[in-house]
Amino acid sequence: MTATRPPAPKFSGGSAAADGAARFDLLRVPVVGRFLRWRGSRTALQIPVLLLSVVMIAHAFFGPALAPKNLAALLTWVHFRGGIVLVLLFAGNFFCMACPFMLPRQWARRWVSPRWNWPRSLRNKGPAILLFVGVLFFYEWLDLWADPWATGVLIVGYFAAAFLVDLLFRRASFCKFVCPVGQFNFLGSTMSPLEVTVRDPGVCGDCHTKDCIRGRRAPGANGDGSAGSRPILQRGCELDLFQPRKVGNLDCTFCLDCVYACPHDNVGILVRLPGEELAVGGTRSSIGDLDRRKDWTILTVVFVFGALLNAFAMISPVYSLQQAIARATGLTVEWPILGFLFALALIVEPAVLLGGAAWLTRRAVSSSLSLGAILKKFSRSLVPLGFGVWLAHYGFHFLTGALTVIPVAQQAVRVATGRELLGAPRWQWGGLPESVVFPMELGFLGLGLLGTLMVGWRIASELAPERTFRAFAPWAFVSVLLFASACWILTQPMDMRGTFVAG
Amino acid sequence: MPDPIPPNLPASISRRWGRLAPLLFGGALMILGCRPNTAGTAIDAQATIEFDPSPPAVGRVGLKIVLTDTAGQPVRLGHLEVEGNMNHAGMRPVFTRLEEVEPGRYAGPIEFTMGGDWFLLLSGQIPGGGRFDKKVDVPGVKPK
Repeated sequence: MTATRPPAPKFSGGSAAADGAARFDLLRVPVVGRFLRWRGSRTALQIPVLLLSVVMIAHAFFGPALAPKNLAALLTWVHFRGGIVLVLLFAGNFFCMACPFMLPRQWARRWVSPRWNWPRSLRNKGPAILLFVGVLFFYEWLDLWADPWATGVLIVGYFAAAFLVDLLFRRASFCKFVCPVGQFNFLGSTMSPLEVTVRDPGVCGDCHTKDCIRGRRAPGANGDGSAGSRPILQRGCELDLFQPRKVGNLDCTFCLDCVYACPHDNVGILVRLPGEELAVGGTRSSIGDLDRRKDWTILTVVFVFGALLNAFAMISPVYSLQQAIARATGLTVEWPILGFLFALALIVEPAVLLGGAAWLTRRAVSSSLSLGAILKKFSRSLVPLGFGVWLAHYGFHFLTGALTVIPVAQQAVRVATGRELLGAPRWQWGGLPESVVFPMELGFLGLGLLGTLMVGWRIASELAPERTFRAFAPWAFVSVLLFASACWILTQPMDMRGTFVAG
Repeated sequence: MPDPIPPNLPASISRRWGRLAPLLFGGALMILGCRPNTAGTAIDAQATIEFDPSPPAVGRVGLKIVLTDTAGQPVRLGHLEVEGNMNHAGMRPVFTRLEEVEPGRYAGPIEFTMGGDWFLLLSGQIPGGGRFDKKVDVPGVKPK
């Protein structure tokens, strides 16, 4: 893991080129690589997911109102979430690649061209952070996991939002600035073993067309010399990631437009050390310096502490706490109590823990950096642990309930057609026993802690080469504390409740 | 760097949006209007449920159900099929069969596998034809 990899070493060629050639490249794998290099591969992946989404929406509105019997609730809250984290862990951001929300907007853009650029004041993660927190809040408040109809509304709303945003605003505005699932995937994919990157930086140094970001248009020129309305032959990166200066997976949707656009066949899906990019400082294409991005820091905090909050909300003590608050305040409705818990978990707790760690680090190494600067620098070291918590939580639901989709689908077909075309529902099919999944959950958390400590150490060594341990110790303490909290949550009895009993 | 997205298409955009808007609005109304009605049920039998221990906890629990019609008379089905599910999707359901121990009174064990909110789907064959189906909520099964 290298902490101080310069931001644009890909221009330098030399050993980097040899390194790139030696690394495993998914695009060079016989069948899979050939498929991914095909320009229609993304659409080919999106179409079945879109069709599945249509089935889910139909089942949400016209199927059974019982979540365990409904494909919308089951696939959204068990398989989709579990699938995302496992694919991120073992491969990369392939969900964004197969994202069904992009397909309708893609087709619509053939007839309607977006008119505006995304507002300058909103070119940050602010809207996505609000939506991220909003989804977490409404998930708890409205018991979305138990409500197929509300889940269907969420899916339709998602399609509508992606469609409208990208029909009004140019480029991939929805993915980059709005989509909360996308932001989750961006941060999660920092832990992925694969990244879309250049094979030989030296080739980029000699490239003058920069098609990977500009794209390619049909030959010819308009009278004013601009690209004008010449048809696009191949899009460049719609998220403004310039491959030679791109670092890691942040903001990368794995759309592979850069792969198809590069005239030198110099972009691949290469293997790398998961989490390495979190230890890298400096400027990144289209993102800038993470150490200066307050919005990325807030997103990271929501990602990490939201993981704990989301898991905490599933266990018995949260209901005792809610009832205690209800008794103390006299409140008989849930949303203000939930709001209080959210403020506690996403604002107060991070402010105390991370602010305290930053203050101790600053004192320990007599740094001239502000508290905020230290906090921004170290906060990203918590991403591996946060991802470990999401993985443990969503992995639990997925692994213990993976096969439940089979009887639910069998039942849906039986009800829809009146015939058992998929066979009689096998309701006894579930998944792995909890006793088997629990050690896996602890393993995910342990790996997350290890990654967090490694990244934290690298950041500390960059901040204070002579007093690394002093700079690192407060963050190690916070990391272990969060790890212990997550372990405690996992050992608590599950109590998946949708009812709020006040008083 | 030139923007790879072509500049605005002709002014027909607004006309297209104008055509699209009623469709979107209509679609939204249709979706919002088609929420399944779960509040009521056509079944005219009352189910009274007892657990032993009460409140129920994770593990094997005794279940007694009394079915009465609108006149307060016992509903006799011979036996009652019970399917227990958690509110959260992704959990394997549990099944049990309750025998009619007295007219309209059914008893048997059920095993709750996790704490939280459950619901029971009761079903049975009415003598002389027809089916009895009812959903009963079991909130707050206690964890171990």
